[in-house]
Amino acid sequence: MAVPSRSALSPSTIPTEASTIVELDRVSKRFLGKRQVVALDDVSLTIPRGQMVSIIGPSGSGKSTLLNLVGGLDRPTTGEVRVEGEALAGLTDDQLTRVRRDKIGFIFQFFNLLPTLSCLENVGLPLHLRGWPRKKAEERARELLTLVQLGHRMLHLPDELSGGERQRVAIARALSVYPPILLADEPTGNLDTKTGGDILALIRELHEQLGSTVIIVTHDMQVAASCHRTIALRDGRVVEDRPRSG
Amino acid sequence: MLFRLISRPYFRRHVLRTMLTIAGIVLGVAVFVGMHTANQSVLMAFSQTVDRIAGKTQLQVTAGETGFGEEVLEKVQSASTVRVAVPVIEAVVDTNIRGQGNLLILGIDMTGDRSLRDYDLESGDDAVIDDPLVFLAQPDSVIVSNEFAGRNGLTTNSRLPLGTIEGEKLFTVRGIMKSSGLTSAFGGNLAVMDVYAAQKMFGRGRTFDRVDLAVADGRTIAECEAELGAMLGAGFTIEPPSGRGQQFEAMLAAYSMMVGISSLFALFIGMFIIYNSFAIAVTERRAEIGILRALGATRGQIRWLFLGESAITGVIGSLGGVVFGILIARGIAASIGSLITDVYGVAQQAGELATSPALLMVALGIGVATSMVAAVIPAYQAARVDPVHALQKGKYQVLSAGESRARAVAAAVLGAVSVACLAAPSIGGSAGGGSRPLFYTGYVLAVVVALLLSPLLALTLARTLRPILRWIRPVEGALAADSMIQAPRRTSASVAALMLSLALVVAFAGMARASYDSIIDWMDTAFNPDLFVLPSQSVVIRTIRFPKEMGAELASIPGVERIQMVRSARIVFRETPVMAVAIEIESLAETSARPPVAGDPAAMYRLTASGQGLMVSDNLAQLQQLSVGDMLEVPAPAGVIRLPIVGVVLDYSDQQGTILMDRTLFEKYWNDDSVNVFRVYLDDPASVPAVRQRILERYEGVRQVFVLTNGELKEYVLKITDQWFGLTSVQIAVAVLVAILGIVNTLTVSITDRRRELGVLQAVGGLRAQIRRTIWIEALSIGVLGLLLGFALGAINLYYILQIVHHDIAGMRLDYAFPTGVVVALVPTILASAFIAALWPAEAAVRGSLVEALEYE
Repeated sequence: MAVPSRSALSPSTIPTEASTIVELDRVSKRFLGKRQVVALDDVSLTIPRGQMVSIIGPSGSGKSTLLNLVGGLDRPTTGEVRVEGEALAGLTDDQLTRVRRDKIGFIFQFFNLLPTLSCLENVGLPLHLRGWPRKKAEERARELLTLVQLGHRMLHLPDELSGGERQRVAIARALSVYPPILLADEPTGNLDTKTGGDILALIRELHEQLGSTVIIVTHDMQVAASCHRTIALRDGRVVEDRPRSG
Repeated sequence: MLFRLISRPYFRRHVLRTMLTIAGIVLGVAVFVGMHTANQSVLMAFSQTVDRIAGKTQLQVTAGETGFGEEVLEKVQSASTVRVAVPVIEAVVDTNIRGQGNLLILGIDMTGDRSLRDYDLESGDDAVIDDPLVFLAQPDSVIVSNEFAGRNGLTTNSRLPLGTIEGEKLFTVRGIMKSSGLTSAFGGNLAVMDVYAAQKMFGRGRTFDRVDLAVADGRTIAECEAELGAMLGAGFTIEPPSGRGQQFEAMLAAYSMMVGISSLFALFIGMFIIYNSFAIAVTERRAEIGILRALGATRGQIRWLFLGESAITGVIGSLGGVVFGILIARGIAASIGSLITDVYGVAQQAGELATSPALLMVALGIGVATSMVAAVIPAYQAARVDPVHALQKGKYQVLSAGESRARAVAAAVLGAVSVACLAAPSIGGSAGGGSRPLFYTGYVLAVVVALLLSPLLALTLARTLRPILRWIRPVEGALAADSMIQAPRRTSASVAALMLSLALVVAFAGMARASYDSIIDWMDTAFNPDLFVLPSQSVVIRTIRFPKEMGAELASIPGVERIQMVRSARIVFRETPVMAVAIEIESLAETSARPPVAGDPAAMYRLTASGQGLMVSDNLAQLQQLSVGDMLEVPAPAGVIRLPIVGVVLDYSDQQGTILMDRTLFEKYWNDDSVNVFRVYLDDPASVPAVRQRILERYEGVRQVFVLTNGELKEYVLKITDQWFGLTSVQIAVAVLVAILGIVNTLTVSITDRRRELGVLQAVGGLRAQIRRTIWIEALSIGVLGLLLGFALGAINLYYILQIVHHDIAGMRLDYAFPTGVVVALVPTILASAFIAALWPAEAAVRGSLVEALEYE
């Protein structure tokens, strides 16, 4: 797969040195209802810049909650989440949104593409939201669709694509501003084995080429095995944190 | 059981939407109840005043508004079937007391009247009535009601200033009536004076307004009616007091019809809001319906589940509508009251609301029926849901090609029938003037076609709007347009409700504008004198009049070139109150001749002036199916006038129509030479201020005169016309409410449907302001679609309304003119309403949990 070089892409934020990019300090998340549910329980961990990390664990172990907290989609009940040294706790909703659009790209299990927008429009969406000029946003979207090998599908609607193609569009959208962090929630969970393998390969290639920090939540041990580091959760706690063997 | 398990939790989960649905019914029922209760209250107030003043009167003898000579009283008294007959004069005068309004003066003959009415006086005042001669000897005497005295701090011997034909006069309170049925008439603003004093004070000459009588013992009312009918002739009306209420009702017929049309539209609009809610509910609950069907629920059970929900919603909404309707009725009644006083010259005051249980039951029934009818189609759609398809995820909102085609075909067929209905009558006459059932069928079908086409048109327009919105805001605009395109049903029902509402506003505004244009055109010729001399501030009050001799006095004032004496009075023609206008026709032909609608322009004035013919207004000709050459029979106190119609002219003096005749004819047949208005032409139009001053000085302290210039009178007439069309502003208010209700409803559903999409937008960097903006743009776009379709249907509706006005309401031939001014004003009004409606849904859209939104299915 041909991936353009970093310099050719001129990304807005390219990591240049190894440092902590994501830090969780004694983070807990409880959901209050008739019964209190502890989704995360006193979790502390650090993720260095440029690392590809997988988070594994059974259903209800707190994987997605952890990802949501790192992505600023949700707030911890106690503890502190820092992204590039910036504490998310005191930020307003709009400040959190700005952190997301400048620093984080999301890849969802169910793609979450807007069905009425073409691939080009879907990929350009975050750029338009940032107020980029129309022409510049379109150029970047074309560039990214070419990058994920969908140059021939630019004007197609998501409904007209296969599952793998949709996820490629979602990846292109997540990369729209070349964010330093990519968060992927079960990116292959809705795909067949072969397509899932292709998507994983693409993420890995992009990670290598762009140097982004990638955090992948997955059930798939093959996906986990391909990451630098695997963090295992159970009942909201980190039960294992190990680098890739071999 | 199904309701408890399925419907109740759904309502609980969607409290706001349920409330909005109920609000649709509340709106429709409230307008219905409010307008009808107000109308009924005004009619009841009039009837009560008539009843309370009537006392023990069994029959009344009248001759329209004109009254009749004193000799008629003697004739009536001589009838064998009459036990007692007394004369009455009624006059409404300004009390000149701030906040007290008008006072109804009852002129009666003290010597005989107490056998029909009780004048129960406060102790100590009885001597006045015990000896009527005391009362008669002092013509400045009045007896006032306890209520009026209390409100104004009056006691026996207090002085009370009242406006009379001789200017403001001071009257002496000789007695105060204890509270009774009589004193509560006219809101308690009642005073009694001697009938002969009243003749003098109000310029009645030797006439009475009516004779009240009681039938002789052992004789029936029917016998008495028959005897008096034969004795007095066709020019007199002999009927029980309640008959006056019916005439009043007939006079209000045009207004009542407008109220009816407005109420009907309000209910129809309410129906659309309900339809929208249920159609959306069926779409959203497809999976639930699928599960129920899979578990064994029959189609009938599903159908009745939805119909049951609509019935319950209908009952709650109708009850709310009834309460709200009664609350707004008082305001509407006050407005109708002042309208009637100013437009028809019939003063009355609605003291209490006539909340008829029958009307409230009808309103409840209509509310529930409307709700259920609105839910019929969604209920059948729910029953037809296929469980297999329903349990599959996918999009249900997009109109299927088959559905679109079916709608288009139905619209084309019905549209053709509608046009055929319009064309059919033109074979036999003018368009819209032939078969009324066919015309109204065509009208209803035209509205149905618009409703059928509204989803397709809304969809097409939304697609057309997309590039524009995308160009304005690449993300927010495109997504707002896509939201409408993806859910045409959700959007189109709101658009349709707005369309209906605006179509009504456009039609009424167009009618108002056309009426203004026609009235202004008419006034330019008919009201061309330089000055008008009137006995009352109000042009329409005809109970105070001038003597004929004043004409010569006015003519002798320096600067006056010509005087025309006008006597106008409402008379009963073919059992309808119409206006008789008597004027010197020869003079009128020289100053204000208008091209006739029908008839020979030269001959018609000549024949009318010589008493050989009558002219009628175009609206009377329309309403009574009259044309030139027809023999008119106009009953008058001195006999029946039988003359041919020699001309039909445009004249807007009265909604029921006008009969124009020469003054000599009126004087002869009504034995009445009094004058309502003097039309004054000047030698030099520039001398208007000077001559006006001379007239006022000439009658200062002698006679009450009001002198209006040409411009002032026209302004007065236009002000009255404004009041009549005040209804349009109520409709604009309803349209705004509909816009807000419908759009809030649609957007509430829209943000639920788009929860995930909005979550994604926020996840990839959309700020709250951007999310809000996409909701606002959707609301404004719905407003734009509603405006476009509303104006289009309004243009068609205006044609039909003008035809109805022409043929069925006022007989007015109005030129079609699209009300551009109102339309331009509606654009910002509706868009602002749409924006306001979007504020809450937009806030709701940015406040939910992002994590839940992204997981939302």
